[in-house]
Amino acid sequence: MIAFILRRLLSIVVTFIVVSIIIFLMMHSIPGGPFDGGEMPLPPAVRERMMAQYGLDQPLYVQYFKYMAGVIRLDFGVPFQAPGETVLSLLADAWLPSLILGGAGVLIGAPLGILLGIAAALNRNTWIDYLASALATLGLTIPVFVTSMILILVFAVWLNWFPASGWPEPNKWVLPIAAYATIPLATYARYTRSAMLDTLNKPFVTVLRAKGLSENRIIYGHVLRNSAIPMVTVFLPMFIGTATGSIFVEAMFRVPGLGSYFVSSIRTRDYVTEMALMLMLTVMFCLAYIISDILYAALNPRIRNGGRKE
Amino acid sequence: MTATSTTVPAVPTTRRQRSPLWFAWKRFAANKAAVAGGGVLAVLIVLAMMAPLVTKTGPNAQDFLTNSLALPSGEFWFGVDDLGRDFFTRIIYGARVSLTIGFAAAFCSILIGIPLGALAGYYGGRIDEVFSVVPPLLAAMLLAALTSGGFVTIVIIAGLFGWVQVCLLVRAQVKAFKEKEFVRAAQALGASPGYIIRRHLIPNAVSPIIVGFVLAIPLAMMLEASLSFLGIGVMPPTPSWGQMINIGMNFMYFYWHMAVFPTAALAITVLATTLFGDGLRDALDPTLKGV
Repeated sequence: MIAFILRRLLSIVVTFIVVSIIIFLMMHSIPGGPFDGGEMPLPPAVRERMMAQYGLDQPLYVQYFKYMAGVIRLDFGVPFQAPGETVLSLLADAWLPSLILGGAGVLIGAPLGILLGIAAALNRNTWIDYLASALATLGLTIPVFVTSMILILVFAVWLNWFPASGWPEPNKWVLPIAAYATIPLATYARYTRSAMLDTLNKPFVTVLRAKGLSENRIIYGHVLRNSAIPMVTVFLPMFIGTATGSIFVEAMFRVPGLGSYFVSSIRTRDYVTEMALMLMLTVMFCLAYIISDILYAALNPRIRNGGRKE
Repeated sequence: MTATSTTVPAVPTTRRQRSPLWFAWKRFAANKAAVAGGGVLAVLIVLAMMAPLVTKTGPNAQDFLTNSLALPSGEFWFGVDDLGRDFFTRIIYGARVSLTIGFAAAFCSILIGIPLGALAGYYGGRIDEVFSVVPPLLAAMLLAALTSGGFVTIVIIAGLFGWVQVCLLVRAQVKAFKEKEFVRAAQALGASPGYIIRRHLIPNAVSPIIVGFVLAIPLAMMLEASLSFLGIGVMPPTPSWGQMINIGMNFMYFYWHMAVFPTAALAITVLATTLFGDGLRDALDPTLKGV
């Protein structure tokens, strides 16, 4: 098991380095720089001095190594949008909203989705099943900013139950959390349902029935456990979907979180902040990848000894 | 005919042989959601194609400046936007943009996905795994920001990130067929792998290719809307629903039509296309369910 985790960690480090190089190159090929200012052009001499001050006149590979040396010490550089701060201090306050809203969304959405999926599988072809399938399809097909818009229109504009946007009062959290929750809810409802149905049709369930076990013991003792593996597989895409969705949810609800900085940095060509955010996201995705792999291996002994998931 | 009829028992004419397509059609027709989705999609395509006939002005004509922000009425079905443009016209032309990008990007997706899926299926590689780690939307956002958007760019980006599903579908089919006797026979007769893939394996993967094509359309439409919503997709004044939702947000408290119609249009179109594609998948090949 330890060898397995180490092997995974190593592959994650390699992935991180490759992704960081790609991001670095992409960011540096974006046309326009921070000191090109259209409204207030700088004199060329001043511009050159500024470029030299930030080390932007050096060859790319030198810039990359200097940058990565800083990243290891958690020094992501000076954001162009706030030259008096560091990227870390700029983003320090942005973590909390994203964590609270995204975390609450997953913690509410995932269990609800699993329950809905179980209910749908056990009541196949009844209204519960149709409702669950409809919700899952809606949640998985409609982009999250459209879901957010619908929530805002219904609960903020028409019913006037909650404020449409803002931070930090908790009554402003309700709608963004609901918007976040649709992603894990839909994902888990769909996959739990199909995993349960798949397991219910397995021969061993027939054997259990033939042995005279009660339906409750079959479902809660055997079927649920055997359906857990596909649910773990979904963890990674669900996590990525939620994290990516945060960009849109935060833009819709004007939440000052990481997602908002992601958008504002793209708009203001602040590639220092943008790169820091991309690298943090990559680390998060890699961690999610490891967690889902470990859970997977813990549940399925066949994976542990070098097998791969299919 | 008469000679054989003595040895073979007469087959009643009512139980004639049905083609696989007939069964596929039966399965599709039984799926009400898929039929409804297909119907809505067909109506949208017709509306988008006949846009100049069903609307009174061009999508960018500011003909109603004195009526700016007018609410929906008999004269302006969906109201007028902040720049004096008939909103119904904008929405219909938005369908044109959305559907064109959806179909064009889906075409790009199958152009990339078919060869890669066939190769991966035949030789047993996993090209798509590299791509599954990179979150497509983030990468697409970076690319769009890098190229500062535009119609053609969005199509290419959507194609670049939409081929994975086509690749998976084609790979599964090719993998299943490459062990069949007729492929073995072709190999025994000395056919090259390239010939077998082109002549035997890809033609046998037609139904997953159709399914992959249809399912790539809503993905591309969603990507376009998301990028346009962030202001790095289709550039104004080209009408795009994502862009309209972004603008509508600023007006929604007093001029609800600015937010409601593009939201509804986008949700309905994406949903209808997905339901149609899912139904098509289940009908053409029930074993593909849940890929």
